[in-house]
Amino acid sequence: MPEIDINGKKFEVDGDGFLQKPEIWNEEVAILFANSDGTGELNEKHWAVVNYIRSHWLENDMAPMVRNICKNTGLRLREIYQLFPLGPARGACRIAGLPKPDGCV
Amino acid sequence: MRAKLSDKHQKALNFFDSKLNGKFITHLNSCVHCGLCGESCHYYLATKDERFMPARKVDLVASIYRRYHTFAGRFLPKLVGARDLNDETIEEMVDVLFGACTMCGRCSVHCSIGVDVPFLVRTARSMLVEMDLVPKGLQSTVDAAINTGNNMGIPRNEFVDTLEWLEEDLQMEVEDDNAEIPRDQKGKKIMYTLNPREPKFFPLSISAMAKIYYAAKESWTISTNTYDVTNYSYYSGDNEGARELTDRLCKEMKNLDAETLVLAECGHGSRAIRWEGPNWVEKEYPFKVITVIEVIADYIRSGRIKLDPSKNTQLITLHDPCNLVRAGGIIEEQRFILKNAVENFIEMTPNRENNYCCGGGGGQLAMSEYNERRVESGRIKADQIRATGAKIVATPCHNCIDQLMGLNSDYKLGVEIMTIGEIVANALILGVE
Repeated sequence: MPEIDINGKKFEVDGDGFLQKPEIWNEEVAILFANSDGTGELNEKHWAVVNYIRSHWLENDMAPMVRNICKNTGLRLREIYQLFPLGPARGACRIAGLPKPDGCV
Repeated sequence: MRAKLSDKHQKALNFFDSKLNGKFITHLNSCVHCGLCGESCHYYLATKDERFMPARKVDLVASIYRRYHTFAGRFLPKLVGARDLNDETIEEMVDVLFGACTMCGRCSVHCSIGVDVPFLVRTARSMLVEMDLVPKGLQSTVDAAINTGNNMGIPRNEFVDTLEWLEEDLQMEVEDDNAEIPRDQKGKKIMYTLNPREPKFFPLSISAMAKIYYAAKESWTISTNTYDVTNYSYYSGDNEGARELTDRLCKEMKNLDAETLVLAECGHGSRAIRWEGPNWVEKEYPFKVITVIEVIADYIRSGRIKLDPSKNTQLITLHDPCNLVRAGGIIEEQRFILKNAVENFIEMTPNRENNYCCGGGGGQLAMSEYNERRVESGRIKADQIRATGAKIVATPCHNCIDQLMGLNSDYKLGVEIMTIGEIVANALILGVE
């Protein structure tokens, strides 16, 4: 199983760098992932997205539609792409500690 | 002599045998080992790993044929490089045929005798389907499509909610309360499809197409039950799944009484539905199937939409999706569109049917197991993009878009990746008759 090492912390991940054990996620993991994938420092808007995605996943076992991310955070669609240059899936969902969603993402 | 096969292996071999016809046997026996294919394959070029040479992939499949269907292979297998269908052979098949091939077909174009390598690779993948050996992420994407109606498992109410939201947005943008994204309307000319990643994560491409249809005053609808343009069973080699997904679209076309099935910007989906589909459902479609690229080009040609290229001033290059361009022959339409929609266009080199695969095809984006290779093989495409100096890469394929977004970040290309529809929508002049 691949491992990534960020600042001396090791994480078991899948080949795409998504956490293998989503339950070990915490805010520190999010900060480390965001710093290493080009997202950079997480501001209030980032956290609103990450926390919403996380809670949606805990409740529904799937990543939310981007429509719901916008509705629940009050952010505009284009802002989401600016906040997470890798997009909602490989960017935001990964930082929120979700497994990789299926499909062309 | 031949060792007894396990039930699983025998099942796979039975499948292999059932596929043996003139075409299959000819392609299995024709490779002359000239090696031209190596230099044509982005996996081999990026890694120089000989196992990834297309000729080696062909030989892997052919060695099974020789073992069970030739005299020398039955009695002197080592002498003719014939291989038993055993765990070792199968492990190599999974690793190389799933993990190091996008079935892009560039090797076949360069092959001195035209061996259809993707056809052999996909047939071998079908053998692996028989043994339940499809890599996990690819299989779960197929399962999601079969079990939920779309490959991301989007619940119908959330899909409808997203379309309603986009419709409100469209009305504001075009300043017309009657502008719509029609849902489940019967008797329309076009039934439009989507890649589920659009409603789920990247809906701007839906808005763009809705705006283009609005400007063209098109009669169109989206089915909220059956809209998925992808067919991951094409990638995995699962012919029964591929047939089922195709059949659902046929039924929905009938149900909505639509004239033309229009395929969203999706390379493998276009190939699967338009060109492979009739073979799976074993009949000609009773409706017309066309890609949205051809629809847009036709709008421009006939004057149904007017474009202002000065709305797109940045230098734009074009990536040719393998399934649409090399396999499907949709080559000039996207160029015609871009030349009408942007001020500065530059081709990447090589291009058209000689273009390199981005590295995301063949189901690679769904197979985390081979992520490292996918990114490494994408270096060839990244170098091509960088050499153009373009700021925007347009491509009519959502699968390619995702790979290109990844390459953009991994190779620090500093470009923006867009669909053809988004670029056209950007240049639309509304309110002209």
